[in-house]
Amino acid sequence: MSVAQAEAKELEVEQPSGLWSDAWRRLRRNPAAWAGAGLLAVFIVVAIAAPLIAPYGPQERVGDLASVPPGPSREYLFGLDEQGRDLLSRIIYGARLSLIVGVVSVGIGLSLGLVLGALAGYLGGRVDSIIMRLMDIMLSIPGFLLAIGLVTLLGRGLFQIMFAIGITTVPVFARLLRGSILAQREADYVLAARSVGTPGHRLLLVHILPNALAPVIVQATLAMATAIIDVAGLSFVGLGPNDPGLPEWGAILAQNAARLQNAAHMVFFAGFAIVFSVLAFNLLGDALRESIDPKMRT
Amino acid sequence: MALLEVRDLAVKFATRGKTVHAVNGISFDLEAGQTLGIVGESGCGKSVSSLAMLGILPRPAGRVTGGSVRFDGTDLLGLSDAKLRDIRGNDLAMVFQDPMTSLNPVLTVGRQLTESLRSHLGMSKREARDEAVSLLDRVGINDARSRLRSYPHQFSGGMRQRVMIAMAISCRPKVLIADEPTTALDVTIQAQILDLLRGLVAAEGMALILITHDLGVVAGVCERTNVMYAGRFVETAPTGKLFADPKHPYTVGLLKSVPRLDARRKQRLSPIAGAPRDLTSAPTGCAFAPRCTYATPESWDQLPLLREIAPDHHVACWNPVPEADLVTAGLRPAARGEPA
Repeated sequence: MSVAQAEAKELEVEQPSGLWSDAWRRLRRNPAAWAGAGLLAVFIVVAIAAPLIAPYGPQERVGDLASVPPGPSREYLFGLDEQGRDLLSRIIYGARLSLIVGVVSVGIGLSLGLVLGALAGYLGGRVDSIIMRLMDIMLSIPGFLLAIGLVTLLGRGLFQIMFAIGITTVPVFARLLRGSILAQREADYVLAARSVGTPGHRLLLVHILPNALAPVIVQATLAMATAIIDVAGLSFVGLGPNDPGLPEWGAILAQNAARLQNAAHMVFFAGFAIVFSVLAFNLLGDALRESIDPKMRT
Repeated sequence: MALLEVRDLAVKFATRGKTVHAVNGISFDLEAGQTLGIVGESGCGKSVSSLAMLGILPRPAGRVTGGSVRFDGTDLLGLSDAKLRDIRGNDLAMVFQDPMTSLNPVLTVGRQLTESLRSHLGMSKREARDEAVSLLDRVGINDARSRLRSYPHQFSGGMRQRVMIAMAISCRPKVLIADEPTTALDVTIQAQILDLLRGLVAAEGMALILITHDLGVVAGVCERTNVMYAGRFVETAPTGKLFADPKHPYTVGLLKSVPRLDARRKQRLSPIAGAPRDLTSAPTGCAFAPRCTYATPESWDQLPLLREIAPDHHVACWNPVPEADLVTAGLRPAARGEPA
């Protein structure tokens, strides 16, 4: 092979190798990423198009009140619940709630965590110690217990619940970003930027943060799965949204758990929905982590 | 008054209860357009002193503990952060050792080049972009306009160092500090980068401080050379004089350890014995004494200060290397006047 050819080949291989384009390339090659993204896409479509897909309304009573409601049939694919509501429709509408809960609560946790982590990592010293000890205290309380406490304190509105779940994720994001910023802060390119007189806030926002964000993004994806489980868990222990008619998956599970022996379908399908939505986020998050991790680079 | 006057600059690092005396009082003057080489082995305080001059020592560990750095008459060490930022990049700029890690991987080259143009010179986006193109042209990067949109990883090491140089000279600084600018590059690229620096210094009238451990590099570029050991200058002289007539045992040791083309075949390299001084204790006596064959009891007890032993030639040593030893070391032809 001539030198020119070798060079051309090298160029070809090296062309698309920025941090993100590289990660994107590896992500596309990962079957787990496809599975996760596909599953997630299904949930998103279902959530958006709920009124079009669902055969009935989420609160609509299509059957009679029954202590042993009818199971799946051609007419009601997932069966009915005790109040005669179509479970398929309720679960379809529930997808909206779950996704909103996942996105909003992680959004809350992420934004607070980013601010705290960035301040701690960049400013260092006393600010760092105070913020991080605070985060340690929060981490020392089991997340779900903290969420229960906050919901009890704040009330059972949907937003309060999302806020409570968001708060439990703050220390994780803050710690992660802090560590990542510490690693980047002493990097040569930061020194080089300082040497041409770049002011501090630009150093942090333009130079350090974009380079430190990758692990946080991965964690955010995984945190959405946890948020969905947490809200279902809160509902299950009776701290779900205070409107019992809301088709929240965890609430459906909780309301019908007592009937597991003679009407398992009421529990089964809601549980299934939870499992698959969590699985979607987890698959995607894991694939994302693998694709961004520099150790996995070839 | 010189453009840059450094007097008794001292830097200490505090790490885990230990104090590292990284720089122990260095002084020098730099005139406009002058090129000064600072030579020494790893850890002797070369880079730290340049970071201290720019006020970008790693905080909170590193601290300037004494001395002054006057640029155009103003003491940089007393300036506020904002004022100093204004001077950095504008009047004083720096090129770093490793071009592979000194550019931000997530920003385009154009973005990084225009950053200081816009903040220091207040250029508009368009003006800054045009200026960036001409800068890349000047440092010898072809097809500059389209290259602005490239990311650092799409450049080779030599090209990245050219970009770093373009960034450093973007605001036409009066002093450029180049900290081992060629160490991470292979030899042919080294020569190109040195040529580039030399050309820029001549064309722009910039003063250049070239920090390196490579005597060959200073020989080719610098008018004056200061040899540094354990945070002090041990010998300063015009480069030609330093090479022809080295006086400090450390300088002689450095010159002897350079591989020579005219050496006999089986001749081994002669390294300097021992290891660099541990800088965690305050120095008493000559820091080089433990490794020095010329050391006397005086060397161990009393710190030698720089003194002028020949016009414009300063040495900090109690027992400068005698002429005869330079001959036996092969640094001097045996008899003067005869062709070597």
